[in-house]
Amino acid sequence: MGGQTARIARFIGVRLAVSAPVILGIVFLTFMLIRMGGQDPVAMLAGPMADEAMLNALRAQLQLDQPLLAQFANYMVRIAHGDLGVSWQGGIPVLNEIRHLFPATLELVLLSVALAALIGIPIGMRAATKPNGWFDQISRFASLAGFSMPTYWMGLMAILVFFYILRWAPAPMGRLSMEVAAPAVVTGSILVDALLEGNWRALGSALAHLALPVACFTMLAAAPMIKQTRAIVIEIMGSDYVRYARANGFSAATVRRMALRNAATPLLTFLGSELTSLLAAAALIEYIFSLSGLGQWGLNAILLGDFAVVQGYVLTLALFSMAIFMVIDLIVMLIEPRN
Amino acid sequence: MLAMDKTKAQAWAHGFYVHAIGLTRRSPTFVAGLCMVLFFLGVAIFAGVIAPYSPTESFSYDILRAPSDRFIFGSDGNGMDVFSRVIYGCRYAFGIAVPAGLIMVGIGLPLGLIAGYKGGLLDEVLLRTLDVLRAFPTIILALAVVAATGQSLISMVVVIGVLDSPIFARVVRAEVLNLRASTFVKAAVAMGNPAWRVMVVHILPNAILGATAQLPMRMAWAVRISATLAFIGVGIQAPTPEWGAMIRQGAEYVITGEWWAALFPGLALMLLVFGFNLLGDGLTDILDPKRRGVGK
Repeated sequence: MGGQTARIARFIGVRLAVSAPVILGIVFLTFMLIRMGGQDPVAMLAGPMADEAMLNALRAQLQLDQPLLAQFANYMVRIAHGDLGVSWQGGIPVLNEIRHLFPATLELVLLSVALAALIGIPIGMRAATKPNGWFDQISRFASLAGFSMPTYWMGLMAILVFFYILRWAPAPMGRLSMEVAAPAVVTGSILVDALLEGNWRALGSALAHLALPVACFTMLAAAPMIKQTRAIVIEIMGSDYVRYARANGFSAATVRRMALRNAATPLLTFLGSELTSLLAAAALIEYIFSLSGLGQWGLNAILLGDFAVVQGYVLTLALFSMAIFMVIDLIVMLIEPRN
Repeated sequence: MLAMDKTKAQAWAHGFYVHAIGLTRRSPTFVAGLCMVLFFLGVAIFAGVIAPYSPTESFSYDILRAPSDRFIFGSDGNGMDVFSRVIYGCRYAFGIAVPAGLIMVGIGLPLGLIAGYKGGLLDEVLLRTLDVLRAFPTIILALAVVAATGQSLISMVVVIGVLDSPIFARVVRAEVLNLRASTFVKAAVAMGNPAWRVMVVHILPNAILGATAQLPMRMAWAVRISATLAFIGVGIQAPTPEWGAMIRQGAEYVITGEWWAALFPGLALMLLVFGFNLLGDGLTDILDPKRRGVGK
């Protein structure tokens, strides 16, 4: 048992040491890219009426008049103190905004990935039992079609059909209907908070607002899940140990069970990369449905040239993906009997 | 003389027919994808003949008309014919996908070849770059770079091509790693061939197959991401008949029920991306002899 804890601690230590340069690289890249861009955030902030003196004062206030590397060093020192700066447009501390907006995005992404896994993994397994059979061909066609749809367009069409024509969905504005009182904020996720409070009206309204975006997102996420599951299962079924088990006369069902247990590890790893890529892709879905999550906030910040927010947004995504990959690799390490 | 020509032509037609049937049996996805991509390519080339109006001609009395005989896909918020604009949009899609694909191959192929064969520092740098790209939302990277380099079509193509080239390089690298361990490469090295010769003459022709299958999928990505950028409002701007920009323009009318300005360009975008993806998926099946025999 003691050996196990030490192993986990060493794993986390090594992983943090390896990830730190990657995170640093991402932060540096973001910092430099947005500053070398053609956008002039000061002009956007000050508006068309500002004169040269005002622009310069603002530039000095935002420390944009200093050399780039000095600005970066400054930023790193403040990050080390847990200070992500203040949003230039709204004046709100970036860290507060992240805390406030992240749950909304996480809600959307987790629900979609869970649904996509529930749909995609069984379909992928079924397709793999007879590669190039009719089920395989149909599921491949359908999943590629879903994957090829631009998310934002799918969202627009969903609004057209389910809001405008059928009137089933609520207006695509926000996470709750106007007349519904929001539950007290505990976790930030309206679903969880409403459940904790027993506020069924809020829960229902939040679910109704999430239904379309989650459906669109699930379609996007399920396609690679089907493809990956199929490939993993086909590979395992063709491996030496499955052939050996078959030769030993185990029944088909037993062989399948043994094989599928080994599919868990690569599937988990894939689930991790799905989670991180969807977290970034959430921006467009949130934008279409006005879900006011992290992605919409980050996207707006890029368009408005709000550098402090862009940096905070990218840093959050990077840290999240690092954490996800670490947790998943840790689980894999613990359940994989070979290690 | 004439009779012989006729039988020759017949034999050729028959051979073509047999091959087409065989290919359709082996990989229906490939044939479906190829047909779709060729259809759009044809539309792009003959856009001037097919489109009834100029894509930027504005009929100021016909704003947001529903689809009818005059405007079969309706007219948009500027009174422009959606059908003609969707047709001309094909040119932008291919005009981005093809050169961006060439850039990906131009950078990714040698990079993956050298990184896979030589290993060492270049390989390490490539892998770390991929790590960063994986954790970095592509759309944000593309947004930032397009904003930085200016919003012309050319800068967009270059940004998309360069951004995707490490991903292409990874595919080539994996292929090269496999080949490097194979007997014929070892034999070539043992014969005293210099490294460049082993790479170019022995590994490249074998690695290029897997890379070819990857190309349509990367082109699908290029079409998609350029449309997404235009939809957000970065890159190609409104009166240009580009699909993403058209969806952006049509999006504001969807909620009030004027659906045609956003539906048709999105449909075209989806079908072309779908075609490219099918083509790539089918090519992987056809070109990969290991997967061909799977499942009897």
